[in-house]
Amino acid sequence: MAKKLTIKRKVKEPEPQKEVSDSPESSDNEEEEDLLQAVKDPGEDSSDDEGIDQEYQTDSSEDLEFESDGEGNFLSRKGAGGSSADDDDESAEEEDDDEDESDADAEKSGKSKDEETATTSKSSKKSQEKPTSSKNGGASVVPARDPSKVEYADSDTSDEEDIRNTVGNIPMHWYDEYKHIGYDWDAKKIIKPPKGDQIDDFLRKIEDPNFWRTVKDPLTGQEVFLTDADIALIKRINLGRIPNEEHDEYAPWIEWFTSEVEKMPIKNVPDHKRSFLPSGSEKKTVSRMVHALKMGWMKTTEEVEREKQEKRGPKFYMLWETDTSREQMRRIHDPVSAPKRDLPGHTESYNPPPEYLFDAKEAKEWHKLKDEPHKRKLHFMPQKFKSLREVPAYSRYLRERFLRCLDLYLCPRAKRVKLNIDAEYLIPKLPSPRDLQPFPTVESLVYRGHTDLVRSVSVEPKGEYLVSGSDDKTVKIWEIATGRCIRTIETEDVVRCVAWCPNAKLSIIAVATGSRLLLVNPKVGDKLLVRKTDDLLAEAPVLDVIESERIKTAVQWTTAEPADQEKGVRVVITHFKPIRQVTWHGRGDYLATVMPEGANRSALIHQLSKRRSQIPFSKSKGLIQCVLFHPVKPCFFVATQHNIRIYDLVKQELIKKLLTNSKWISGMSIHPKGDNLLVSTYDKKMLWFDLDLSTKPYQTMRLHRNAVRSVAFHLRYPLFASGSDDQAVIVSHGMVYNDLLQNPLIVPLKKLQTHEKREEFGVLDVNWHPVQPWVFSTGADCTIRLYT
Amino acid sequence: MEVDNGEGQVQVHLKTKQEHYAVPDVPYAIDGTVATTELNTFVNALLLSKGSSAVDFDFLVFDEYLRGRLCDHLREKAISFEDAIEIEYVERFPAPEPQDCLLHDDWVSAVKASGKWILTGCYDNTLNIWTNKGKHILTIPGHTAPIKAVDWISLDDDTGRFVSSSQDQTAMLWQWNVGANTVECVSVCKGHERGVDSVSVSPDGQRFATGSWDTMLKVWSAELEDAGEGTSKRMKESGVRTPKMTLQGHRESISAVQWMDATTLLTGSWDHTLKVWDLSLEGIKAEISTNKSIFDASYSKLNHLIVTASADKNLRLYDSRTNQGSVVRNTYLGHNAWVQTVMWSTTEEFLFVSGSYDSQNKLWDCRSPKAPLYDLLGHGEKVLDIDWSNPKYIVSGGSDNTVRVFKSRKALVENMDTK
Repeated sequence: MAKKLTIKRKVKEPEPQKEVSDSPESSDNEEEEDLLQAVKDPGEDSSDDEGIDQEYQTDSSEDLEFESDGEGNFLSRKGAGGSSADDDDESAEEEDDDEDESDADAEKSGKSKDEETATTSKSSKKSQEKPTSSKNGGASVVPARDPSKVEYADSDTSDEEDIRNTVGNIPMHWYDEYKHIGYDWDAKKIIKPPKGDQIDDFLRKIEDPNFWRTVKDPLTGQEVFLTDADIALIKRINLGRIPNEEHDEYAPWIEWFTSEVEKMPIKNVPDHKRSFLPSGSEKKTVSRMVHALKMGWMKTTEEVEREKQEKRGPKFYMLWETDTSREQMRRIHDPVSAPKRDLPGHTESYNPPPEYLFDAKEAKEWHKLKDEPHKRKLHFMPQKFKSLREVPAYSRYLRERFLRCLDLYLCPRAKRVKLNIDAEYLIPKLPSPRDLQPFPTVESLVYRGHTDLVRSVSVEPKGEYLVSGSDDKTVKIWEIATGRCIRTIETEDVVRCVAWCPNAKLSIIAVATGSRLLLVNPKVGDKLLVRKTDDLLAEAPVLDVIESERIKTAVQWTTAEPADQEKGVRVVITHFKPIRQVTWHGRGDYLATVMPEGANRSALIHQLSKRRSQIPFSKSKGLIQCVLFHPVKPCFFVATQHNIRIYDLVKQELIKKLLTNSKWISGMSIHPKGDNLLVSTYDKKMLWFDLDLSTKPYQTMRLHRNAVRSVAFHLRYPLFASGSDDQAVIVSHGMVYNDLLQNPLIVPLKKLQTHEKREEFGVLDVNWHPVQPWVFSTGADCTIRLYT
Repeated sequence: MEVDNGEGQVQVHLKTKQEHYAVPDVPYAIDGTVATTELNTFVNALLLSKGSSAVDFDFLVFDEYLRGRLCDHLREKAISFEDAIEIEYVERFPAPEPQDCLLHDDWVSAVKASGKWILTGCYDNTLNIWTNKGKHILTIPGHTAPIKAVDWISLDDDTGRFVSSSQDQTAMLWQWNVGANTVECVSVCKGHERGVDSVSVSPDGQRFATGSWDTMLKVWSAELEDAGEGTSKRMKESGVRTPKMTLQGHRESISAVQWMDATTLLTGSWDHTLKVWDLSLEGIKAEISTNKSIFDASYSKLNHLIVTASADKNLRLYDSRTNQGSVVRNTYLGHNAWVQTVMWSTTEEFLFVSGSYDSQNKLWDCRSPKAPLYDLLGHGEKVLDIDWSNPKYIVSGGSDNTVRVFKSRKALVENMDTK
């Protein structure tokens, strides 16, 4: 009995535990309890087994009572368990007269000890095991020993449960007192199968070979035979294996999700735009901080640092400390090699060749410089010894070591970085002159005839004739192609400037001679034009505007005398001071003259059609050197000695002032497109102004060796020429691009030096042929030269 | 003397087109260093066996005159010394002899020889007629500005007709009675707006063309009676003639005009182009672009090539027949200043003469680009015009107020032969 009891105790142990702790929580546990009940019940199905079954029941209740006494742990449950046990006992007494039987039972059981133990052990096992499945009316109800397994089994099968008893999920012992065990689908009582007594049970045990595998369905009270599969399953569970036989624990592992880190991103989606945009919240934060800084609520780290420093007071450094540390680093990274000493020569040898030894004279000189040894060529006297053995100790050894140390001490600590730049590299890349052809390269013609220096030259707009003005008081008209002087016009004074009217519809030359400006009809070219020009100049228009006194005293317009008329002079404009320069407006109606001595009336603008003069400036801003009309815009350039002012003639205001930074301007020329101005100066420079760019020169060219007298742009080709007192005419390529972003390209091309020098003067004026790439230059050697 | 390396012997074939100077066609091995003189001696030695007297020859190697040593020439032309070289020799053109100097009062800017007469145009606005013996026949005033060009229309024993163009914007048609030695101005051709720089009479003598500084090319009738319908009676009476045709196309002054055939004109202009005009179409047939202003151009009827004088020291040879005829066929270097005038020989296929501002005339063979055949010295100043229309005489006028006449001896020799 003791054995039995212990076993039974084991069986009953979990039941109260579950009932109290788990029943309210999960129905699974309740079910589990029911199942346990069911495990116990099967014995009651058959009348034969009733006794044994009863025995179990009673035993269990007894055990519990017994147990509760022994073990204090379950005291609280004892009552409950006890009460139920009592109930059981009562019912047992009432229905089946268990008391007597139980004794007999005990005896029987003692007889069939082995079998009993086997069955009980089996059943106890079964009772502890949770049924893995209760399919088909508990055809295979397997009580589970392991709670986790039970849970798994239940969740797996509960849905498919075939319910014949409709009482639901209740503890089945509630029906213990009744004859029925529940209700079927038709609401009829399911009558409990008759419970056999212990003898029946025993008989069955002996007779029925399947007894050991018969269990009772707690729900229906029916007996159920466990199939072989069920048994196998139970065995597997007992062994602690995975219930499913087909499960292969050693199957190859399929790595559905790789553990390796991929190098390339799986998605190739570019970063979201948001990631590039400044964050709004950050902006808010920053603006809040800025505001705080402004209001003085917050301080920058610098300010904080400074305040801290102020608090701390002045700081003193070890002067040499940092230096040495830095020096150490420098020595490592950037060592300065010690200055190299000269290699010893023959003189230093202990046995020098005789020619290296001092002769008497040298020795005397050496000795003479005893007081100032640094003046000696050698700081020692070469000596000859027969053998190295005889060489004495070097007397100056210590001193020289010391000097060497001094040298090293004083050697520069910083490494001087030598720039290894090729001189070629510094020269800007310029196109080869060969690619910039055509341009004048040789002297082609010399126009001889003047007897004094030729001051000025101007070319007919069509390019057939040439006019020159000279100090021999003559104006000469030349045929360009042959060098033939066609006409000579005598004047009364030195001709300072000549200018052919740029309008091809007029045949006029403006000649500035002394203080008179002559308008000459050269009578060359188209005869019709000559006649028309004559007609135009013959009649003086009636002046409708009364001229001011200021102008009247400065300028008088007169028609030329008959003698002058014969020479071709048509109109004489007498100025009050000698005229230095005359220049035409592009349309040929206006011309401007410059009288350097005219003070505030030194620049004048004359209108040919109305025979009217204007003084554009009321105040003199300096000594006016030359003036120029803009080729397209109504602008007027006035060059004083140092600066150039650009005036708007319509609005009558100063537009711009160009700063030349030179001492004395000699001439100007404007690019035919009107955006670039070339200025020559007496201080050997040529200045290129880009009027759109700046008021300072775009480029300064120092090509000449002496004062530059004149510059000129070609009207069609990208060429300009300059004439200087060094007798040279320098032709340069000056390309102005339509693209405003591209700077002008300036390439000096050719130096043409054929003029002769006379009294420090070389070339006085240069001018281009209007069509061909030919340049004319006038010189102090009384000639005009054509270079092609 | 490594410099003398003529690379040994060269195998040559000597050939000639002049049958009577032919030598047997056998290869000769000649030292590479030989020059014209040695070759001359050699050929003469070969010819001596035939019993002819010594003749001076010039040698053509690959269509170019041999001027230095044979080896240098070959090296320059990149010809292998291994090949047998064909040397053609021609009788050397005899040097023209200066014959006469015709003194004028002013620069002579136009000369034209025809028959035994020389017509000159002068900067003192006069035309002069001289005989080729140097006798002054006539001075013709009429123009009011320097004469720029003259040309003969026709000439026979009794009458001569010629045309002159001047800077006074006119061309004048003259008729000269040789016997009576009187000149009559047939008509004045007005229409140009600037100086008329060039004039040329058509081969048939029916028309003449003028080129002017106003960039126009005008074609006029050269008939005594202008049959133009457009001319009014008043103009006819006053002898004023209007152009039959005005061709516009040049952008600058037309400096040279020449008839290539009865309906084709060649013009050269300062706008760096040569244009060939088809008069039947009244349009441009071909255009040759150069890179210098053209002062004079001459077309040879014998070899159909154009030689130009432009605003530099070189003469250039063009071919108007090539399609985009801008390729310079050859350049002739030798003058020291602008070449102002050039003219092909009318009888010799390869010869032309040029006159330059370096006061020299040069006689060229177009196969000898490096050096001219002869320098015709004599002028003291710029040469303004040269003429070789009479094969016997090379006539040139210059700014030293003279006309120089050079006798071309070869033509004379041939004339004697024919006689």
